[in-house]
Amino acid sequence: MDVWNYLEYAAWVLSALVAAIMLIDLIKVDTTYDNELLTSSREGELELTQERHEL
Amino acid sequence: MSNATVTEAPQRLGLLRVLGPGHVWALGVGIVLVGEYMGWNFSVGKGGMIAGLVACWVAGLLYTCVAMIDSEVTSTVAAAGGQYAQAKHIVGPLMAFNVGLFLVMAYTMLEAANAITIGFLLDTVAGMLGHTGLNQKPFIILTILALAWLNYRGVLASLSFNLVITAFAFVAIIILFVSVKFGVSAVPLDFSAVTNEPLPYGWLGVVAALHFGLWYYLGIEGTCQAAEEVRSPARSLPFGTMAGIMTLLIAATLTWYVCSGLIPWEYLGNAGTPLFDAARVTGNTSLMVLLFIGTAFATTASANGCINDASRAWFSMGRDRYLPSWFGAVHPRYRTPYRSIVFLVPIALIFALGAPLDQVITFSILSGLLGYTFMTFNMFMFRRKWPLGSIKRGYVHPWHPLPALVLLLICGATYFAVFLGYGTQLIAMLCFYIIASLWFHFWRYRFVKRGDQFTMPWPRPQGY
Amino acid sequence: MAYRPPEQSLAGQIVDVVVLLVLTVGALYLPLYLGLAGAAKVPAPIENPTWEALGQNAAEQAQWAALGYTDPASANEMITARFDYTFSWTALIVMVVAVVGYFILVVRLSTKEYREVIAERFGDRDR
Repeated sequence: MDVWNYLEYAAWVLSALVAAIMLIDLIKVDTTYDNELLTSSREGELELTQERHEL
Repeated sequence: MSNATVTEAPQRLGLLRVLGPGHVWALGVGIVLVGEYMGWNFSVGKGGMIAGLVACWVAGLLYTCVAMIDSEVTSTVAAAGGQYAQAKHIVGPLMAFNVGLFLVMAYTMLEAANAITIGFLLDTVAGMLGHTGLNQKPFIILTILALAWLNYRGVLASLSFNLVITAFAFVAIIILFVSVKFGVSAVPLDFSAVTNEPLPYGWLGVVAALHFGLWYYLGIEGTCQAAEEVRSPARSLPFGTMAGIMTLLIAATLTWYVCSGLIPWEYLGNAGTPLFDAARVTGNTSLMVLLFIGTAFATTASANGCINDASRAWFSMGRDRYLPSWFGAVHPRYRTPYRSIVFLVPIALIFALGAPLDQVITFSILSGLLGYTFMTFNMFMFRRKWPLGSIKRGYVHPWHPLPALVLLLICGATYFAVFLGYGTQLIAMLCFYIIASLWFHFWRYRFVKRGDQFTMPWPRPQGY
Repeated sequence: MAYRPPEQSLAGQIVDVVVLLVLTVGALYLPLYLGLAGAAKVPAPIENPTWEALGQNAAEQAQWAALGYTDPASANEMITARFDYTFSWTALIVMVVAVVGYFILVVRLSTKEYREVIAERFGDRDR
């Protein structure tokens, strides 16, 4: 066992931790909010508010 | 009923518009700069030193055309998904589906290649410090997961992070060049192979080298993916993209010069981390450490940008129901396409842990190449359906149709270059896209709302 | 009359994703399993290698040494390995047809779909 072995274990643990945080947040968001709201983004909305295509 | 006529309701989620031109530069250059730290040198292996330089400049010309064309179309079609949204408005739904797949595949494969390189680099360093048999897997997995999490948490943080590490990696190349010029290196620069063995494979080798010449710049077109998150897309996107391509032309030429001078071409053609190797040859420890950090940063920046781009493309396709609409979700707090980000993690892992590096790189290059081919006729159709003056363009590129024709010509040469040695992959890849296209046209497209796909407030295209 | 797409069930959505995944992984791994992937360099090592016989001058020898190759024999294979670029014209023609055919297929089907999109978005030709 040297420092590299510890680093390997640390990497495994951190990976599991990050994956868990991300998945838990995803599940939490998906159960808290309505799917209609979450998927309400539409392409081109910023075109209407920000960009003008008139000459 | 079209969404384009609905004004923004309060209960709507969209991506967050926070990025400036610097972030666009960081996204573009960040993805690509890793190509200078690894991969480009296989072009020297495929054709010799001169071929490597010719490939570097010809590919540079190809990407200058790409950047010019892309800047014009993207500054006009400012939507997440970049070229995907362009294809949808200009060529048609099936082309858009294909372009979306090109993007996701090119970036996910590149992300996998980066993770593999980080594992390899750590293994090398562990070996130099006397530890053999490092298990690379946990580091590969951690890289992908940590960057996915960063992306999940918000676009501003991930791209600001990219800006810092990309700038560092770029400065590292310049420092290496300047140090070598001022004689820090214990071993002299030697270009005798240029005169002794100029073209070991003849001119065919120059064409063959183009294959990996693309690797110097592959991914610069990813800047368009940020279109929905940039504060002022019509200005920032052309500026960030053009500044990016200039940065890369400088970095690529410096890299070729230092590496070819310090490393025998036979070794260079096989090297895993050429710039780091060049620093090793100089015998200077500070340079070695600098280039080690540079390599690690460049790979991280690239993987980070790839996650950003691939998830935007996947998200846009979900939003239009080209893919299950579940993917078209935006996180209510972080305002990121969080489901797409999470979904692409295991896919990147499959490739990073299971496939050899050159295979992954070739798939990435091929998907990119198909995308550039699309850009050529896309440009012609864009100018024909909406001639100059019919809509406001954020940027108009000069000398049309010259850039599109040059791009088409170089794309053709590059197909031939890939064919020399990797013909099977090319055919396999095409089979994949053909089957996927038929699947989309005859099955998936029934779930797509027709008129809603056209979201730009433009007049009717001419001739339709 | 605008086209109303059917709602897709959750199971259907999952099946669609799985189909795409299988296609992707298949395209990557099939050439690998069939052993058709990649161009290998063929080494042609020479007898009794010396740095001079391998065409390496003094500066290059120093570079090899810095990279950890102090003995010419250890670099022999790497220096002499070459790609084989002979190719068959039939294979080249197959490739050209495949690439061009693919783009023609996609653009033609796209154009068909595109006319529908434009007709629904802007109404039938009323101008």
